[in-house]
Amino acid sequence: MDLLCKICSWPACLLARLPGIGPIVKMCFTSIGQKILMALTGLALVGFLVTHLAGNLLLFKGEEQFNTYAENLHSLGGALVVAEVGLFGAFAVHMCLAISTTAMSRRARKSSYAEQQSKRDDVILGGGGASRFMLITGVLIGAFLVLHVADMKFNLRDKLGITQFEHGDEESGNLYLHVRQVLRDPVTRVVYLVALLGLGIHLSHGISSAAQTLGLHHRRWNVLIRGGGMLLAWAIALGFLSIWVLGFLK
Amino acid sequence: MSGDTLTLTLRIWRQNGPNEAGGFREYRLSGVSTHMSFLEMLDVLNEQLIESGEEPVAFDHDCREGICGMCSLMINGQAHGPDKATTTCQLHMRQFADGDTITIEPWRATAFPVVRDLVTDRSAFDRIISAGGYVSVNTGNAPDGNSIPVPGHQQEKAMDAAACIGCGACVAACKNASASLFVSAKVSQLAILPQGSQERTSRVLDMVNQMDEEGFGHCTNTYECEAACPVEVSVSNIARMNREYIRASIVAGE
Repeated sequence: MDLLCKICSWPACLLARLPGIGPIVKMCFTSIGQKILMALTGLALVGFLVTHLAGNLLLFKGEEQFNTYAENLHSLGGALVVAEVGLFGAFAVHMCLAISTTAMSRRARKSSYAEQQSKRDDVILGGGGASRFMLITGVLIGAFLVLHVADMKFNLRDKLGITQFEHGDEESGNLYLHVRQVLRDPVTRVVYLVALLGLGIHLSHGISSAAQTLGLHHRRWNVLIRGGGMLLAWAIALGFLSIWVLGFLK
Repeated sequence: MSGDTLTLTLRIWRQNGPNEAGGFREYRLSGVSTHMSFLEMLDVLNEQLIESGEEPVAFDHDCREGICGMCSLMINGQAHGPDKATTTCQLHMRQFADGDTITIEPWRATAFPVVRDLVTDRSAFDRIISAGGYVSVNTGNAPDGNSIPVPGHQQEKAMDAAACIGCGACVAACKNASASLFVSAKVSQLAILPQGSQERTSRVLDMVNQMDEEGFGHCTNTYECEAACPVEVSVSNIARMNREYIRASIVAGE
């Protein structure tokens, strides 16, 4: 874990030497700085999920609407590539920080308690609730992403001859039919279901936690922030699950 | 009045020194009055141990009034035991039932090494305070009390943060052994008041830096610290510390 940390932190070490942004990069080495960056990238990814979900819900409108949306998106050309690189960057930073902060907390308590109980009276799950599962659900989402991008963007499983998707990838074929076909694949069904439930759990802690980390805490608004975070988390997860259900329809 | 005394099984962490391996030892203790405090119960156990020629259990304590922050103890997996807003010394044996097994452990954090048995070295907190938890003023004569106006609600917030007794229950209860609640209370109590706000930029940077150096974990917002805190310091202070930290890193120049 510590070695991984060192590998992940070397690009940041270089950046810290740059004039101008040096102090801000240095902040990213501290525990609070890392959590702030984690919160910012996390919220950026939530923003992406909302737009991605909105676009994908067009699958329910039919073949023509969905394919037109995809064509319009691809007509952006270079701008889309820039957006994709930014998205990948946000994922990469978020994951590196997850490794770094996990290593930090492992170092902070090397021997664990024989017994531990929550003293909060409003928890459903003790020991930190959903926050206990941030790493494992994050890994699940990461694994899902590999399969998802390989199938939807590059049609890699088909090209490697593992599956028989006859409608081609997003560049050449009919994307609507391709998506429908990928969703019918048994491996897809299992991985997507597990990952999307994981996403719900991840975001149910992540969104409101990000707000607190960024200093958004006020007696008057806490209920709204925490309730709203939970609501948004499961709205996103259930929204995507509705598309997963599409794989079982004719 | 048989209900007034308890017979207990105590599972206590025994460790001879900082670098020695520790383990649990079980003790049977009978005739424990329900009116005793938890520490008085340990005193009774220690008297018996001394009489039988064994080493007594080392544990931290001082004022026994809930204000000094010396007593600690993880009791059945809860910092300062089952009562809310209570230190171990103010916890009474009436909270336990006859025949109970009570597991007693020291605070566990790399930054709080075990000295002996249930005693941990919490001087990491002192070094964080030394890094910036003060106001550098020339203290001459006592100034006129009303010369610096402080609004009532600001006073209240500062006092609520200043209630922190530095016991370390927040670190003990946190799954990441984070000291965020302690540091944020100390940052907040000074940043809110006009006397302390002069040094708010360097203070938050230095104290957070020291907190990381001591090897505490990061805050993942489970709010277990707030629930375990014997003086109920609010996690709103952690949000304030983060705001102070963002301000100090990005906007303010010193």
